[in-house]
Amino acid sequence: MSRPLTIVSLLPELLGTNGDAANARVLAQRARWAGAPATVVEVRSAEDLPDQVDAVVVGSGSDSDLMRARDILATMTTELRTWATAGVPILLVGTGWELLSWGIELADGGVIEGLGIVAGRAVPMPSRATDDIVVTSRHGRLIGFENHSRSYVGAEASPLGPVVSGTGNGAGTEGLVMGSLIGTHLHGPVLARNPGLADHLLRAALARDGHKYHPGQRSLAADEMAKAARNQIAVRLGLPTE
Amino acid sequence: MVNRIAPGFLPRTLNSFPGGLIIVTGSSGKSTTTKMLVAALRAHGTVVFTNQSTANISQGLTSALLERASLSGHIAGDIAVLEMDEGHGALIAGSLTPRVVALTNVMVDQIDRFHDSDMVATMLAKIAARATGTVVINADDQYLTDLAARLDGAAAVARYGVSAEVLTANPRGLGYSATTATRLGSRDGMVLTSVQGRRATVSIGGVEYPLGLPARGTHYAVDALTALCTASAALGGRFDPALAIDAISTIPPVFGRGEIVTVRGQQVEFVLVQNPASFQLNVDSLEPGTEQILVAIGSDVRDPSYFWPVNTSGLGRVRIASGSKAHDIALQLAYDDVVVDRIEPDLGLALDDFLALPEPLAGLKTIIFSADSMRRTRAHLGLATNKEEQE
Repeated sequence: MSRPLTIVSLLPELLGTNGDAANARVLAQRARWAGAPATVVEVRSAEDLPDQVDAVVVGSGSDSDLMRARDILATMTTELRTWATAGVPILLVGTGWELLSWGIELADGGVIEGLGIVAGRAVPMPSRATDDIVVTSRHGRLIGFENHSRSYVGAEASPLGPVVSGTGNGAGTEGLVMGSLIGTHLHGPVLARNPGLADHLLRAALARDGHKYHPGQRSLAADEMAKAARNQIAVRLGLPTE
Repeated sequence: MVNRIAPGFLPRTLNSFPGGLIIVTGSSGKSTTTKMLVAALRAHGTVVFTNQSTANISQGLTSALLERASLSGHIAGDIAVLEMDEGHGALIAGSLTPRVVALTNVMVDQIDRFHDSDMVATMLAKIAARATGTVVINADDQYLTDLAARLDGAAAVARYGVSAEVLTANPRGLGYSATTATRLGSRDGMVLTSVQGRRATVSIGGVEYPLGLPARGTHYAVDALTALCTASAALGGRFDPALAIDAISTIPPVFGRGEIVTVRGQQVEFVLVQNPASFQLNVDSLEPGTEQILVAIGSDVRDPSYFWPVNTSGLGRVRIASGSKAHDIALQLAYDDVVVDRIEPDLGLALDDFLALPEPLAGLKTIIFSADSMRRTRAHLGLATNKEEQE
């Protein structure tokens, strides 16, 4: 690529509680390891948006910051809609995903209107889901950690996949897929721990410019570490290892 | 057992000290602050009862008290100083009437237990609301500043904070979930005016005092400041800054927290990381050029996502990643461009091989570990442990 791959990390402080913002770093590193220059642009308001956007990462935040985060994201609704329609890969984690939905129902009965970019909404669960989560997906078996107090309804037709262990959306499936947009409850460095998902997003980003993606040598080394970490959890949960 | 036989024992005893009860709580720095505070109070001739270990659970606290209690249930001492876990503190706070509550900070800590900063702040507010005399707060912490503004006024508020220079010298901040926009003036509280290695200066009542720290790092200086501010609140007119500072400056390094030990004939530096903020501050304050590093993260870190906000690239090269979360920490190091020579989940084996490496050309052999790995390291090397580590 002649110009660096530009990965936008949206509201890295407000929506980055569990290290979710690290996913932008993971995409950039994997691109570099494959020989494609990449840069992460941290966006805190619409003015920070770069001209060219190749991938977008939105993380999860604290409930008390929901309104503040929503109001800032709302100023970028047009851009988010344009990216989603144009096939720019977008990763949404936890509350970042919820905020782009139709809305969030709160435990106290209040509702926070979402941006309405993806179908479905978040509704309170009787108790918080805090545990390892395992999901079968076409990007491989995904293993991560979930920590959320709302389930996700109205997107049953296009999940990431069925839940093998854990809670996920709440009705046996986890996540949401809409073109190259992915929403998930797997928080933190989900892309580092599940390189299959990372490479799916990278491939989509590079393909838009007619480039092919082949994981670099250093990716392969990192992926061995990720596999060992995933297998450790699989063993603990009594699941077969990879 | 006693908790069931005599359910009122714990609060009744804790509330019975003539000089009252002091609670130190918050996300990070409680342990060091408590030790410094106890030293400062004892330097003034005060007889202090304290939970030497981090006896955070009711059970531990009760046994700590029972060890010292006479048959009538009386404990010798003028004043009680307790370090309290925010979750446990909030649970038992309703039965306690502390004279002084000192709050260190709100950090995203122990994610699987406390979920987020709001929840931590709510628990701290419950404890603070019980104070009859003074609530001591970190004025650099937005959550604590907001919390103090919502107190009902029954207790006074004493503030401490760092100067603009100290904050600037820590470009990644001090690790609080939210930092206030403005710095505390020296007329409004105690101010940490400079930190250099293991030396710092504090401004108390407009007078600058030099201060020695038990280890390198701004967070230790802030702990000392918290202890000084709390000692002042506890002692009132009897507080002598010079006396308190002398006592704090002569505290030996806390085990595992920047401690340098001699093991198998060589000097090794131990660095304990308890949360993302302390991890970042410790990476940033490593002696430049340190070339032999072992990182061990244990099962106490339930969710490895926890450390990902930390930029570990400053480590450069890690000889061995170890502990039960060896693969997870190695993965993070790899994405931060840190070279990891070897992943060895067996900590004993990792330690033996690390210590067998030839003397480093620069810096000390440095072991960065989580609390669980620290306990296992000390046990493996036959080193004395803090009382808290035996639990």
